[in-house]
Amino acid sequence: MNTQDQHGRGRTGPRPRRARLLAATGAAALVLASGLATPAASAAPQARAAQGAQAQEAAKAQKDDKSGGKVLTVAVAQSVDSLSPFLAVKLVSTSINRLMYEYLTNYDPKDAHAIPGLATKWEASPDKLTWTYTIRNTKWSDGQPVTAEDAAWTFNKMMTDEGAATANGSFVGNFEKVTAPSPTQLVIKLKKPQATMTALDVPIVPKHVWEKVTDFSKFNNDKSFPIVGDGPFVLTDYKADSYVRLKANKDFWRGAPKFDELVFRYYKDQDAAVAALRKGEVSFVAGSPSLTPAQAASLKSDKNIHVNEGPGRRFYALATNPGAQAKNGTKFGDGDPSLLDERVRHALFMAVDRKAIVDKVFQGHAVEGQGYIPPRFSTYFWKPSSGQELAYDPAKAGQLLDEAGYKKNSDGKRVGKDGKPLNYRVLCHATDPNDKAVGKYLQEWWAKLGIGITLDCLDNVTDPWLAGKYDLAFDGWSVNPDPDFVLSIHTCDARPQTPKDTGATDNFICDKAYDDLYAKQLAEYDPAKRADLVKQMESRLYDLGYMNVMAYPNAVEAYRTDQIKSITTMPSSAGNIYGQDGYWSWWSAVPADSGDSSDGSSSTGVVIGIVAGVVVLVGLAVLFTVRRRATAEDRE
Amino acid sequence: MTTAETTKTPAALGPRALAWRRRRASAARFWKEYRRHRAGVFGLAALVLFALVALTAPLTVGSDVSSVTDAPGRPLESPSGHFPLGTDQFGRNLLGLVIWGSRVSLLVGLLAAVLSVAIGAVIGITAGHFRGWYATVMMRVTDWFLVMPTLVLAIALATVMSRSLGTIVLAIGVTTWPTTARLVRAQTLAVESRPYIERAKALGGGHWHIMSRHVLPNVMPLVLAQTTLIISSAILAEATLAFLGLGDPTVVSWGGLLQDAREAGAVSSGDWWYLVPPGVAIAVVALAFTLCGRAVESVLNPRLGVSR
Repeated sequence: MNTQDQHGRGRTGPRPRRARLLAATGAAALVLASGLATPAASAAPQARAAQGAQAQEAAKAQKDDKSGGKVLTVAVAQSVDSLSPFLAVKLVSTSINRLMYEYLTNYDPKDAHAIPGLATKWEASPDKLTWTYTIRNTKWSDGQPVTAEDAAWTFNKMMTDEGAATANGSFVGNFEKVTAPSPTQLVIKLKKPQATMTALDVPIVPKHVWEKVTDFSKFNNDKSFPIVGDGPFVLTDYKADSYVRLKANKDFWRGAPKFDELVFRYYKDQDAAVAALRKGEVSFVAGSPSLTPAQAASLKSDKNIHVNEGPGRRFYALATNPGAQAKNGTKFGDGDPSLLDERVRHALFMAVDRKAIVDKVFQGHAVEGQGYIPPRFSTYFWKPSSGQELAYDPAKAGQLLDEAGYKKNSDGKRVGKDGKPLNYRVLCHATDPNDKAVGKYLQEWWAKLGIGITLDCLDNVTDPWLAGKYDLAFDGWSVNPDPDFVLSIHTCDARPQTPKDTGATDNFICDKAYDDLYAKQLAEYDPAKRADLVKQMESRLYDLGYMNVMAYPNAVEAYRTDQIKSITTMPSSAGNIYGQDGYWSWWSAVPADSGDSSDGSSSTGVVIGIVAGVVVLVGLAVLFTVRRRATAEDRE
Repeated sequence: MTTAETTKTPAALGPRALAWRRRRASAARFWKEYRRHRAGVFGLAALVLFALVALTAPLTVGSDVSSVTDAPGRPLESPSGHFPLGTDQFGRNLLGLVIWGSRVSLLVGLLAAVLSVAIGAVIGITAGHFRGWYATVMMRVTDWFLVMPTLVLAIALATVMSRSLGTIVLAIGVTTWPTTARLVRAQTLAVESRPYIERAKALGGGHWHIMSRHVLPNVMPLVLAQTTLIISSAILAEATLAFLGLGDPTVVSWGGLLQDAREAGAVSSGDWWYLVPPGVAIAVVALAFTLCGRAVESVLNPRLGVSR
């Protein structure tokens, strides 16, 4: 329930693309060049050879690493937006913050209920407005003790400094006062009851280091290493889009991690990351957002690689622009007016075959979408009753459009109220192949309905998104065990104050019935009653037809069993590894005994490389002689 | 066809018929010369083949081949009797897609090259004709475009404009013209220094008359050869832009197929049939255009020497 989980959602998106572009340009040049030089020889061996050479270098580098101890290398693609816990919102950054700083509470890896973290226990006053946390007796990595004063200072900073509230401000919006009467006691006073008090995903930072920071909106916590923390790992080095290096914290209160070092290494190209995994250059690949079906299938046949597939935390949806409006009532953006008609939205909903998307695009690596919250969170999972469900039914969708007054013209195109054929702009993330693939299906399904679409696949979808300049958009959020955050982004209050501001809103939805339910659930401490309210909210959201949840993609990730002996998934039975709601995976990973096993495969790479090189040379020689002969003839 | 002076001809024929006869003769002469360049003939044959494939695609494979909802196969099937080049990630027939994709690749390549050469020719001729400050400004603009990395500029253009074929054509066209402009300007300067231009001026020929009637016919051979050469680089540029995900994702093209293959993870999972056919097709067409262009160039401009 905090912004950390925005990965997946494109808006977070300005994932630096330049490096990827360069890499891709290189790859393109390689494929094209090899094709040009030897039209007969396939392009693939060359590409593979190049990968082989790269992997060898990297393996060498890794051996150097190993002299210091057991290193766990993770391939990542998402850029770190900031290492400051007050600013970081991207999944990779918040995951790293989890490793650097202990939170008050953590989630149990089995069923995600709240368990002690930095707080050993907590209790609420009878009116549930005063919460007292007992702080654990532990130390920062520079030897100073961790006290309640650190926690109080962190929260107070977020309440008083707007810059410090950038990432996690939503947690403290309802706080009245935070004090530390003793080094082991933290007291939080609330204005109104708040159901998320045992799920405060806020990293507690050392006051003695952070009080020197002047501008929290600019400080990225990446200047002096190692960075003082109290989590299972200590960050020792970071280079943007290159690597993040963390050292195990041997004094961590829950027990030292088994690996000595944890390195996040950047691979902007997923195929390169998979190749690196094959060569043993990295131990783990999560993919962004997950491995493709083809990659998963081919990795499964490798005996030293385990492909882990667990139910995902994300939903994958199609969001509709409901006519963007700011809190002050100003309308902006240019969403198609026909989408304001609920019947049109339902018709679009009904013309999408969600089962086909799961079967064809995700090839079974996903679960068909129903309610807003994925089935993994069984407490809050809701699905429409058979009467309510907007099942795939193109004929009925056509009827609905006819009823709404959008009739077909002589060309078979539906005509809008302005007399022009309906054509929706669908915003898609150029970085997510699934968007493009689903877009192709949408185009054909909706064309049968008589509606055209234009796929706008952009690297940076944030600008048109925030400006409300789209009709439909691919959307996706990771959901936390506590659903408060993903629910809050559809309330009227989350909209921006004026069109110029940035709100926390997802796609400008504002519905009074939904808002009332949201306020009720936030103040409800009884878990069963709260779950019931959350389900009512999901039902309301479904009926509105603004969010078409098409699928819950699985997390498909792979790791080398000859480097990692065991690793905790979350939930521990069939769960995911990367991007958990805690530090369980990297903290629990056990190194395997065997050493470097990649020699065999890299020598194959060399052989292939030599063969490809010879083929190219022979090709060039033939070309050269032919030309020489031609000139000789001409000279005669 | 290069100069206004002609040899003695029977008076019975009118000027129009004479001109036609002269053109026929020079075309025959051109073809005779061209035939001697074996590589050029090979390139031409390849081009004719590809053009036929592209033009007859609606009859042979039809637009249904790019439909994802009615895809006939399972995802990423390896080549078989039923699917000679296997299937893509949606289960579509790759052979059909490569054939269908040739239409877009060739069309964009041709249009972009024509646009590029048109811009280059206009700027080159006017800069060569008018001289003075106009030429200086134009040539500095040309220099600026010349030193800009073409691909980077094209990517920037394609990013800011909407995703469509027109955008790609424009992005390639407006970034590749400077070489043509310089070539054409040099040729224009050479032509304009000939005495008959001075004669034409003395007889009252205006700027437009000189440029269109005397300079243009003389730089035309150069322009034609340049067009053929630029087409191949335009096709490559189109493939590159599509590969980088800057094309229209709903249009099937060779570069787009490579991009799809990469995104589906075909490289790391070894599904070569998804990568190789579009790659080879791009390479062969680019090569064919280059061979043709070289041959045309050396036929029309003997000074270039035989080895070209």
